[in-house]
Amino acid sequence: MLLGVVLFGLGVVGFLTRRNLIIMFLCTEVMFQGVLVNLVAMGLARGNLQGQAFGLFVLVIAAVEAGLGLAIVVMLYRRRGTLDAEGWRQMRG
Amino acid sequence: MQVSLVYAVYVVAAIGAMAVYAALPKAGRPSRRGVVPCLLIAAVCGLTLLLGRLLGESAQRAYFFLLSVLAVGGAVRVITHPRPVYSALFFVLVVLSTAGLMVLAGAEFLGAALVIVYAGAILVTYVFVIMLAQQSTPSAGGQFGSVLRYDRDAREPLAAVLAGFVLVGTVGGLVVSRNAAAAGGAATATGGAGNTLEIGRVLLTDFAVSVELAGVLLMVAMVGAIAIARKRLPRGDEPGQELAPGEAGRRATPF
Repeated sequence: MLLGVVLFGLGVVGFLTRRNLIIMFLCTEVMFQGVLVNLVAMGLARGNLQGQAFGLFVLVIAAVEAGLGLAIVVMLYRRRGTLDAEGWRQMRG
Repeated sequence: MQVSLVYAVYVVAAIGAMAVYAALPKAGRPSRRGVVPCLLIAAVCGLTLLLGRLLGESAQRAYFFLLSVLAVGGAVRVITHPRPVYSALFFVLVVLSTAGLMVLAGAEFLGAALVIVYAGAILVTYVFVIMLAQQSTPSAGGQFGSVLRYDRDAREPLAAVLAGFVLVGTVGGLVVSRNAAAAGGAATATGGAGNTLEIGRVLLTDFAVSVELAGVLLMVAMVGAIAIARKRLPRGDEPGQELAPGEAGRRATPF
């Protein structure tokens, strides 16, 4: 389970650090991997299959989020012509 | 049994020797491109199988260590590599090692589903989008010869790394302390009828509502993605001309 936490943490670091929009989404997928590993480990520790079933749903949601996120990224790229996250800096508070 | 093991060791050593010899830089003519990776892969596979055979009971631990090292190393390369395509490829490595970990834990269906859905569909989509959304820097010639500026410098690396690793430290400490306290329950995989059958049964009886919801969610997401990506930006001068990426942004006025 420590491995799942480490994967999740690495994904968080990558997400906060990279400026390329696509790579940011890739790092969220890394976070999902960590969560999946954690879920399976918890299911293993409890002895039932609930961890794996929930992991399957997490997989579905990750796929959905990846598809929608990439569609949004494509639209953002079309509008601004760059994949730089700093290009949308005016949305910051 | 013992004799065949000795021969297996010889074979693996021979393949490993051939692979290393082919990979070493030589002053003469270089070997063909495809030979070296194949030999290396064969040597590594042979080595892992051998390790499994030798260690027997503790093979699980060795496999877990190997797979987790691969997963963490791949994840580090995902977040640090300056080129997007290489990040995607290292992500494939992460996905494959995570799938291996799941198979090791007895969740074969989840491991296979992970490979099919993640490494098969999502990563292919990512690579396509990366290829389609490439842009070349004005100075360097061509898009594949240079690393883009916003890919090269990370954004506030120190704060991000501190935040991420404080998170890892606290949650990891919690996990480890709780694991030590609970004295690890019996890690019994539900063998017998097979993992896929069990998961199918559990999914359709206990989690039936969730399965239906997941189907609805998938359909909504598909419709939404098509709707988002179809929207055309304001046209250029002639009707029917779609602007190049970025033109719409330059011509638009903020509200």
